[in-house]
Amino acid sequence: MPSARLFVALTLLSAPTVLVAQSEAIVIRGATIHTASGAPIRNGSILIEGGKISAIGTSVRTPAGARVIDANGKDVIPGMIDNHSHIGAKPSDLNDSPVVVGPQHRFLDALDLNDPDFKDAVSGGVTTVVTGPGSGENVSGMAIVIKTFGDTLATRMLLEKGGMKFAMGAKSRERYPTTTMGVAANLRQYLIKTQEYMAAGKKWVDDGSKGNPPARDLGYEAMTDVLTHKTYVRAHVHSATDIMTLLRLKDEFGFDLTLHHSTEAYKVAPEIAKRGVSAVVLPLGPRIGVTDDAMGGPAILWKAGVKIAMHTDHPVINQKWLRLCASLAMRYGIPEEEALKMVTLNAAQIARVGDRVGSLDVGKDADLVIFDGAWYEPRSRVELVVGNGKVIYDRAKEGN
Amino acid sequence: MRRHSMILRAVALVASLTLVSAGASAQDKVIAIKGGTVLPISGPAIPNGTVIIRGGKIAAVGAGVAIPAGAEVVDAKGKWVMPGVIDAASQIGIEATDQNEASDPITPGLRAYESYNPYGTFGAGKPAPLRNKELLGGGVTTMYLSPADATVIGGQGFIVKNAGNDFDSMIVNASAAMDMTLGTPPKTAARARNRDPYTRMAEVALIRQALIKAQEYQRNKASNPTLPRDLGNEALVRVLTKEIPARIQANNATDIRSALRLGTEFNIDVIIDGGAMAWEFRDELAKRHIPVILGQQSHQYVSNEEIPDRQDYPPVDERLAGRLTALGIPTAIASFARAFGALAPAGSGKWLLVDAGIAAGYGMSEEDVLRAVTLVPATILGIANRVGSLEVGKDADVIILDGPPLSVKSWVQRAYVNGELVHQR
Repeated sequence: MPSARLFVALTLLSAPTVLVAQSEAIVIRGATIHTASGAPIRNGSILIEGGKISAIGTSVRTPAGARVIDANGKDVIPGMIDNHSHIGAKPSDLNDSPVVVGPQHRFLDALDLNDPDFKDAVSGGVTTVVTGPGSGENVSGMAIVIKTFGDTLATRMLLEKGGMKFAMGAKSRERYPTTTMGVAANLRQYLIKTQEYMAAGKKWVDDGSKGNPPARDLGYEAMTDVLTHKTYVRAHVHSATDIMTLLRLKDEFGFDLTLHHSTEAYKVAPEIAKRGVSAVVLPLGPRIGVTDDAMGGPAILWKAGVKIAMHTDHPVINQKWLRLCASLAMRYGIPEEEALKMVTLNAAQIARVGDRVGSLDVGKDADLVIFDGAWYEPRSRVELVVGNGKVIYDRAKEGN
Repeated sequence: MRRHSMILRAVALVASLTLVSAGASAQDKVIAIKGGTVLPISGPAIPNGTVIIRGGKIAAVGAGVAIPAGAEVVDAKGKWVMPGVIDAASQIGIEATDQNEASDPITPGLRAYESYNPYGTFGAGKPAPLRNKELLGGGVTTMYLSPADATVIGGQGFIVKNAGNDFDSMIVNASAAMDMTLGTPPKTAARARNRDPYTRMAEVALIRQALIKAQEYQRNKASNPTLPRDLGNEALVRVLTKEIPARIQANNATDIRSALRLGTEFNIDVIIDGGAMAWEFRDELAKRHIPVILGQQSHQYVSNEEIPDRQDYPPVDERLAGRLTALGIPTAIASFARAFGALAPAGSGKWLLVDAGIAAGYGMSEEDVLRAVTLVPATILGIANRVGSLEVGKDADVIILDGPPLSVKSWVQRAYVNGELVHQR
């Protein structure tokens, strides 16, 4: 893909009138900028060119012809990142329940880019999402990381191998496994078979790649990506017991692991921290709620040094209220800037897209949100959302 | 509030005896909460105001109110003082497995308070006064609790306070409304059991048939008092005589229209629960003064299914609460909190203030938002004579917050129920 700057130059030569609409420079002035990577900048400005952030600070240059947005007294934050959701697919396409271990399933194959929920998510300031299969199986498939806006899959895709979904507690009355023991054994057996599959492939290569290669198996192939760190495990897990099972599996097989929902993770925070495992927390936020003890969990994990992010599990919680999940984390003891990271930089890094999005830094995608008040207060409104350097939501034009 | 059944009279009697024998000190106790920003709800905010509590009731509210000698003085300087929040729709304290008697779509004889458990986790805890600490921490002091939505007529909801010295003293009204549901949830539950109703047509037909039977029961019983009693019909007769309203959960336009028609056909009091598409019926709602109890501002109403069928759940319009209120339609904001399987008790009710605060960003005044979680639900629930505002003579259900009530950062520092300090942070 050509660089954005090159694209600008090419467009300028061929169709200068289109350029203004597509890639005009934007300067946002006078805002309190919460960068997610450093201290807030009071009365700060951001320069956006070619879809990227090209300058940020207390004073930035204003190129000729740039659109200037006065954000005096307003809050600016990075476009938010929902680290765990199911947006973009029909509920009936999320779980292929008869296949209890199905790493070959790809959320991409069920993705509907025209899902109206994406527009809603943008209006709430969510610009990037990890979206993936459900949690009805022990292994339910590969997630993707995409932007919530844009016309084509190519421009929206950030990461095609966006993480392999495991689900602890995906038990059933009708088929194996019916117990926690069964889920653990089922996962171990499959990982061992993957190791054997990898060994067979390696042996064939080591023997000089003679004759037909070993038969391909999409499931083992996908799980090979997990064991070779090309992707990582995103594990749906609630209880401390199941978290310990996952940590043991990680110790045994050496894959990269992130915990999701993580309701009881706070009870085993040191065990998680010492393995460098990240946790995506509080699935049950504003709609459903958990006990005050569990709500205090993120603060315990944060203090223990665990990298944490927040998620909506959309459609469980409407994605546009991702920020309210962070607000609740704040209510229960996470400092403001850390709470912001949970829906921006941490979420991006855990999703392995931290080089592109998640903070307001020079060179990153120009995804940001302007609020009419403190970003975390329920009554504050999203005024403007910028995605890849363009205005993708403008409250003034929505009439509400 | 008319209370006809013997059981209810007995409940009231027990409650009053308890008060007389054990509550002598509470009767006389005088508390003065002074120096805070007092939001009486029934009137404008009072900076540097004082609230006097005597014998469990509000005795005085205002600026420059004299503090009686011997009063316990609570300094509320820099804090906010307002009536306890009222959640007009919740199921907290009712376990997931006890929310629905889904074996039968029509169960008007059931009373939700038989499923109510204020005693906490099975096998854990020691004998103590009943305190729902997490809800009190969110400022919620009174709730309407009901059966869930898997049935068409689910039974009678009840009103309870979140603190009491025993079960009976928590109950405000053991049978406050007849809970009904239209739309997807009863259909889904019925299909799973291969019984009626599979369609909206059948849902309405079942309600009409039940009310017609109750009319016949009422007539037959009047002419022949020795006829055998029927609990379901007895309860529905209370709806027909307008002793209690029908609370009909209806979110999409079809369901709201059906609910309004049922109200007209049987001349019963109707309250719309959920009401996502209420704006389409604003003229009729305003003209008939039919209350609407809206669900969470942060989320569309959804049933117990984790992944709902979006087509049947209209999205939330965050402007709706303010717009209905502006037309004079009694509009409350409620949590509709319910247990989520074994994972979470109906915990989100404690964030009712946080959630309602969203409406303040969508054109509803802060005063109206606060009214929508206090005095308006009190009025809809028929208990405004007791709770919902800081007015002389009402129950002293008072909360003290360390910041503006609609901020996510504010916490309830003290909660009083019936003048008793039941929560402290």
